Amino acid sequence: MAEAVTPPRIRPHLGRDEWLMGGGLLVLALYLAVTLLIPLVIMLAKSLEDRQGVFVGLSNFAQYFSNPARSGAVGNSLWVSALATLIVIALAFGYAYALTRSCIPFQGLFRLVAMAPLLAPSLLSAIALIYLFGNQGIFKGWLFGESIYGPIGIVIGSVFWTFPHALIILITALSSADARLYEASESLGATRWRTFITVTLPGARYGLISATFVVFTLVITDFGVPKVIGGQFNMLATDIYKQVVGQQNFQMGAVVSLILLLPAVLAFFVERWAQTRQSSAVSSRAVHYQPKPRPGRDWALLGLVSVVAMLILGILGMAAFASLAKLWPYNLSLTLSHYDFSNADGGSWTSYGNSIRLALYTAFFGSLIVFAGAYLVEKSRVAQPLRTATHLLALIPMAVPGMVLGLAYIFFFNAPGNPLNFLYGSMTILVLATIAHFYTVSHLTALTALKQLDPEFESVSASLKTPFYRTFWRVTTPMCLPAILDIGIYFFINAMTTVSAVVFLYSPDTTLASVAVLNMDDAGDTAPAAAMAMLIVLTAGVVRLLHTGLSHWLHRHTQAWRR
Amino acid sequence: MADPYLRIRNLSKRFGEFTALDDVSIDIHQGEFVCFLGPSGCGKTTLLRAISGLDIQTHGTVEQNGRDISALPPAKRDFGIVFQSYALFQNLTVARNIAYGLENRKQPKAAIQQRVKDLLELIGLPDSGHKYPSQLSGGQQQRVALARALAISPGLLLLDEPLSALDAKVRVYLRDEIKALQRRLGITTIMITHDQEEAISMADRIVVMRDGRIEQVGTPLEIYHQPASLFVAEFIGAMNLLPATLVRQGEIQLGQTRLACKINGFAAGAAVHAAVRPEDVVCTGRTNGHANSFQAEVQDMEFMGPFFWLSLGGGELGEHRLRAQVSSQQARELDLQLRDAMHLHIPAEHIRLFPNGYPHG
Ligand SMILES: Nc1ncnc2c1ncn2[C@@H]1O[C@H](COP(=O)(O)OP(=O)(O)OP(=O)(O)O)[C@@H](O)[C@H]1O
Ligand SMILES: [Mg+2]
Repeated sequence: MAEAVTPPRIRPHLGRDEWLMGGGLLVLALYLAVTLLIPLVIMLAKSLEDRQGVFVGLSNFAQYFSNPARSGAVGNSLWVSALATLIVIALAFGYAYALTRSCIPFQGLFRLVAMAPLLAPSLLSAIALIYLFGNQGIFKGWLFGESIYGPIGIVIGSVFWTFPHALIILITALSSADARLYEASESLGATRWRTFITVTLPGARYGLISATFVVFTLVITDFGVPKVIGGQFNMLATDIYKQVVGQQNFQMGAVVSLILLLPAVLAFFVERWAQTRQSSAVSSRAVHYQPKPRPGRDWALLGLVSVVAMLILGILGMAAFASLAKLWPYNLSLTLSHYDFSNADGGSWTSYGNSIRLALYTAFFGSLIVFAGAYLVEKSRVAQPLRTATHLLALIPMAVPGMVLGLAYIFFFNAPGNPLNFLYGSMTILVLATIAHFYTVSHLTALTALKQLDPEFESVSASLKTPFYRTFWRVTTPMCLPAILDIGIYFFINAMTTVSAVVFLYSPDTTLASVAVLNMDDAGDTAPAAAMAMLIVLTAGVVRLLHTGLSHWLHRHTQAWRR
Repeated sequence: MADPYLRIRNLSKRFGEFTALDDVSIDIHQGEFVCFLGPSGCGKTTLLRAISGLDIQTHGTVEQNGRDISALPPAKRDFGIVFQSYALFQNLTVARNIAYGLENRKQPKAAIQQRVKDLLELIGLPDSGHKYPSQLSGGQQQRVALARALAISPGLLLLDEPLSALDAKVRVYLRDEIKALQRRLGITTIMITHDQEEAISMADRIVVMRDGRIEQVGTPLEIYHQPASLFVAEFIGAMNLLPATLVRQGEIQLGQTRLACKINGFAAGAAVHAAVRPEDVVCTGRTNGHANSFQAEVQDMEFMGPFFWLSLGGGELGEHRLRAQVSSQQARELDLQLRDAMHLHIPAEHIRLFPNGYPHG
């Protein structure tokens, strides 16, 4: 026989499954491109144009930085965010330490209280602070003549609403401790302080880094708190709003957006890095750490935790009381009249109804798109480059502040030539923006759940000649239902509370509750604003309770096959 | 001979620069039980996934039953597969798992139920249909996975290390079960394993693989007694490998002794490896009475129950070490003791020569 020649390269034929999966991925990639990438790119381009749309290079940036009154916002944003971050991390670390490493009573209750700010729009804390320390506040004197309207108010308000975000990360980091390290340290005769420095802190370091960057980004990109309580103090996020809504200077808005994007992108990469480090640092053989009672430590931590919990409840309680008091601070008798909104400027029950609709649509379509998308990214056998690209697209939202996304949507959807222009001002665009805004966390949640399934389900299904979508529906989805519920509730609550992206996108027909809080406060109707904020908190709280109940039911119902 | 059921020709698979399969060709016949055997990372799974279409090869062809399936997606091929992890659908009962491939085929419900019942009988779990996989033991789950794969009556059964997640006892038991089942159904089967004992006891033929290539294909007996390379000789069973010199055709110099051996086609004077299985070393006692024998000292003995491991050295062996297997009964008859000088005989046909220069055999 002659010398064997290399046979031709095999080009795999695509079956129906492969075509459908590839097609699905393509649709998803296009969806993310339209609702995320293209608007951002267009915004990037706009920052290099003048008002007439002529390319002017970096001259907008030069103009921005040559005006100290404006560019001062950069420094302001940085130091205020840094200070707030420092306080949050210190408090949250103590709180998380108490919940994971001590024997204080009522841990469940303390955990619950600490999570309460997640249910409120960030504005709520600012409104409560105005009631407490504002011009007519009861504790105004405590500020020694300083005004709450400015950095002080921004820092305190930001600490309140970002606290649970830091706490969640730090609890995770601290509860993955390996008891064997502590035993080793103890047996070597190390003092408690030394053990803390050499074992506890290093074990939690990635959690600390991650939490620091997450909180910093949340504060610097937040718009609600500085808008309500910032007074004349100029920050980046409020500046975008001023440029766009106040002066209709979209190009300058784009410039500030890009500046705001920098810390967010940096934080994104650091956070991703820390996350992967954290998870690889946890060995599967780690022994769970069981704290033993130690009165000195436990009493001190109980004190800290109680004070923080009281402050959180105090702020929430203040907002609740503000919404009920007849005429603060002169007539403190209770009334529901502020919940009427008919005399308030900028809000109504219609806004509340719109918010509920937005939250429901976002939760439904969001979890659908995110879960199906994550499935295709994780499990499809085709188009590896497309899968990678789609995954990267899904990570972008984490690095994009809501304000920036909102502005990018204006540029893209409001462009006269865009066939999607009809969406502008509709409920749909609000849903699209909100899904895009909160895509990453949901996507990662879905991926985590999918990765826990046997990777060969799809292979088995193909070998049994069963179409993949059938297995997706009958096996994958039921097994991931808890995660899908989590994603749904995450979308719902964030859609209820968010202000930043939607503040640029609502129309008179689609006013939202969270934006109404802002506008009523702006118009001086602070009590109705507090009432609307409380409505949001109550709604989010009720939905959260329903979710907990449903999860428990689901868990019981499926216990037969869950291990 | 009839045409092979599965004809694999010049199969190669690359992952970027890395070649996981390199020009692999095998024929597998109807009803045969073939084991792919080899060390971790040698490409067994890659080959199986190419055959199934789950990860299609870069080059080469696969023909099943005369049909070219080289480029077809898995759904267009005819096979059932069982994975090491079982990959049972946790949220479906055992019966639903087994029925999974049938429900898609628009068969009447009663027929499906009957088929599931038969299969449950077949795997010896007639009363477990309503249970969930997590309520079964590992071995039972493995059998359910097997039943699920067999339900659609595939022409080819693929098993990727089906037993390696089980403990030793269950493993030996299931080994026999699977083999008996395969015989009964007459289904062409390919099983991956890196347990040589498993391969030897189950397979009609074994494909020994190394570094993406096929090292040898043969029956268990052929592989064991006529290893085609040093790699196979070492990989399967226990083997003594002794550096020796071929003094003339059919005779080697080993230490201070000369032994007759099989002729493997080396030039006289070549440095070789002499391969001898421990059980082929015959202990003839304290006096010499055999051709092809030599004297050495018992330097170590390890009692294993039915037999002893002997470690021999010194005497005519010199610096060489030889392991031998002696039955407990014979050791008792000879009153074998440590430091005894013994005469040992190796039949010429059990000495095989391989080129010097491991690892390339
Ligand atoms: N998707 C992949 N990308 C890159 N390399 C791969 C991929 N899959 C397998 N390989 C490599 O190909 C080689 C063969 O892998 P394969 O899984 O076939 O080995 P195996 O013989 O089944 O080993 P084991 O006994 O450990 O299961 C390995 O070196 C592996 O690292
Ligand atoms: Mg393998």
